Amino acid sequence: MVQKAKKLPRVFDYFRDEDQFVGGLAFCAGCPLELALRILSKVLGRETVLVGTPSCSAPVIHGQNIGTWHRLPYYGCLMTGVPSSATGLARYYRKVGKDVNVVCFTGDGCAADVGFQPLSGAAERNEHFIYICYDNEGYMNTGIQRSSTTPRGAATTTTPVGVAGRGKETSAKNLPLIMAMHRPSYVATATLSHLEDFVKKLLKAEEKRKEGFVYIHVFIPCAVGWGIESDSTIQVSRMAVRTNYFPLWEAENGKFRLTHTVATPKPITEYTKLIRKFRHLTEEELARLQEEVNSNFAFLRHLTEFGGGESPSNAEG
Amino acid sequence: MVIMKEFIKYEAGWSDADELLLCLDTGSWRTKRPVVDRQKCNYCALCALYCPPQCMVNMNDYFTPNLDFCKGCGICAKECPRGAVTMVPEGEFAHEGAKR
Amino acid sequence: MKAQKGEIRVITGNAAAAYGAMLCRPDVVASYPITPQSEVVEQLSRFHADGILDAEMVEVEGENSAMNIVAAVTLAGGRAFTATSSAGLAFMFDAFLMTAGYRAPVVMINVNRELTSIFSVSGGQQDIMTVLNAGWVQISVENCQEILDSVIMAFRLAEDIEIQLPVMVCYDGFYLSFLAEAVEIPAREDVDQFLAPLKLQPERTKLVPEKPLGCGTHGILRGFMELRYKHCAALERAKQKLEEIDREFGEFFGRSYGGQIEEYRTEDAEIVVLTSGSAVGTARTVVDAKRAQGLKVGLIKLRMIRPFPRERLTQALKGKKAVGIIDRSVCFGWNCGPMYMELRALCPDIGFVPMMSFIDGLANMDISIPHIERVIDDVYAASQGKPYQEVTWIPLEE
Repeated sequence: MVQKAKKLPRVFDYFRDEDQFVGGLAFCAGCPLELALRILSKVLGRETVLVGTPSCSAPVIHGQNIGTWHRLPYYGCLMTGVPSSATGLARYYRKVGKDVNVVCFTGDGCAADVGFQPLSGAAERNEHFIYICYDNEGYMNTGIQRSSTTPRGAATTTTPVGVAGRGKETSAKNLPLIMAMHRPSYVATATLSHLEDFVKKLLKAEEKRKEGFVYIHVFIPCAVGWGIESDSTIQVSRMAVRTNYFPLWEAENGKFRLTHTVATPKPITEYTKLIRKFRHLTEEELARLQEEVNSNFAFLRHLTEFGGGESPSNAEG
Repeated sequence: MVIMKEFIKYEAGWSDADELLLCLDTGSWRTKRPVVDRQKCNYCALCALYCPPQCMVNMNDYFTPNLDFCKGCGICAKECPRGAVTMVPEGEFAHEGAKR
Repeated sequence: MKAQKGEIRVITGNAAAAYGAMLCRPDVVASYPITPQSEVVEQLSRFHADGILDAEMVEVEGENSAMNIVAAVTLAGGRAFTATSSAGLAFMFDAFLMTAGYRAPVVMINVNRELTSIFSVSGGQQDIMTVLNAGWVQISVENCQEILDSVIMAFRLAEDIEIQLPVMVCYDGFYLSFLAEAVEIPAREDVDQFLAPLKLQPERTKLVPEKPLGCGTHGILRGFMELRYKHCAALERAKQKLEEIDREFGEFFGRSYGGQIEEYRTEDAEIVVLTSGSAVGTARTVVDAKRAQGLKVGLIKLRMIRPFPRERLTQALKGKKAVGIIDRSVCFGWNCGPMYMELRALCPDIGFVPMMSFIDGLANMDISIPHIERVIDDVYAASQGKPYQEVTWIPLEE
């Protein structure tokens, strides 16, 4: 018999409420999105108004006729209208004196593509709500099509690999960075592998929401769409952080800092070898991807030098 | 004309958790289930934290999955630092009858 | 109980719209400029800056956001207002559909302008005619006073618990938008009183943090059909409700507009001209002149375009010998005017009557006095059994 841990991990202390979602939800087995949504529900509690839209989360956030899958109030709207609907709700609740967390929960297809204009508008106006973008790097619910956050070289159903195709031809847009350039109240990136970091950012989001617009970009590997085993989604998230492919940072009113530093980043191949959508990449293509990861991180690093505050010294190896 | 029997009591597309809370039988999805070795488990709770349906039940000195909702994804087994969780094919439990 | 006499000011149609909205105390106003509507949102912003309008002003980055914002506000229980035109209406169209389907009681001004199917910044009604099938209530007005009054009536109609539908008040851009007329502006307390009956009604369903209600559920199978049916039924009820509200407005403020349609000198008329919007004013003058010459002509002003005032029109047109419909827009695919096409659908109810479609007034072409005289002459000839041209594009025949 091993020595039993005396206390549960600190993350449990941050759970304010029970999971407001029912036990059986229509998420694929192993999908970190399910984890993100349930954790969010436990941390932010039941007086959260969710704003959802067609996406992988829609069959769970939106009801079916009069039935629903959870006990949270929600507003289900079009992909073009998420941040604007949230603006309406947030403005009205504030006018009548209700202090409510309005939380948008959309995929990257909505946030980066078709719903980007209203997102930019809401950020510029510093509207008082939280926008969480879960980045599974594509339009997954409609069948794994590419979006503007799909990385270069990735195979998707609209950028397939064949004699005339090598996957997506252009690099992903750096959406969290773009949002941070609006200089709203708070912007952060998070993964479900680094759970305490994610939860702390949710709590900070709640605080910073009172001052203005909050944007959280969560990394969500898609088992079905990327070609990874259902048990490996957390592992892949962790590797994304360890290779600096998805650095964990935050920016308060445009001032950047890393919330997690990696002392010795692993080569990007440690990440791509876990994922089937990169399987076709040649050494040259992988080297180009490594170069991209390196320069993106260097750029981010430079931004943190502009008076963002200390990055943590307890770096992970 | 008149609606014979009203299914939705609202004028518009509202759903109401007090009226009808839906739930899927996700326990029937799995092809393998996690089995926790109580001797090896050190109660670190990582399986409970990383479980996407959050269906790991706290048994005070170990965790066990709620088989009504466990989808058999295997994350608990993969993330367990002690190797205390093994994914066992559902076929091994066929003698127990449906889902147990 | 009558309202006090309001202050009379010489203001443009756009300003009248802004006054109407301001008096109704919206909680949130979404503003985005587009010619010929910009003055509406400018005026509202001015009211806000001067402390007259206590609303959350949101200067949005596009009309699509404007519609989403106002829909969300009303579904959370508040009152909201926005204004648009033409391309803005087109841009917000997905949210426009959603607003009606979600039964969000939004009030919106549309300043009619040619829809950019040929690029044009000019007056026309193609924009409002293109969105007829979206499920909104659409009311068209004739002059600046009616703009202000219709906005007030629109809030009363939209938020009524038996209706709960978005209402669009439309007026012709470039004709009414920039035209300054004397308008009587009601006192704020009187508008409050006119809207007060809404507070006595049961509260509509709203999205609040305390209750596990979801707005915008996924409709499917019979549930969807039920919701669709209820929407259509509410649109039907809006007809009678507008009649009641218009009557009450008349009794209280002293100005009434006839409800769904206004019948001008139609009782003993043999022929009828039908039109909507600013052209009605000109048509009245011509009808009077022709009457003075002994011609038994009447005018029907179409106010409520959606829902279509089928019963009132059937009653008004029964027994008439010929009808001419002047449209400031076209119905693609039927090669005629859209209101003409809808009037044709009444033939089984009123019996066959020669009907003629006149297309005029596109892109700032004036629907002038000589044009309407020509319309009446042609309709009269048709009523006498002479062969007639079914569709006439008046300016193109000059």
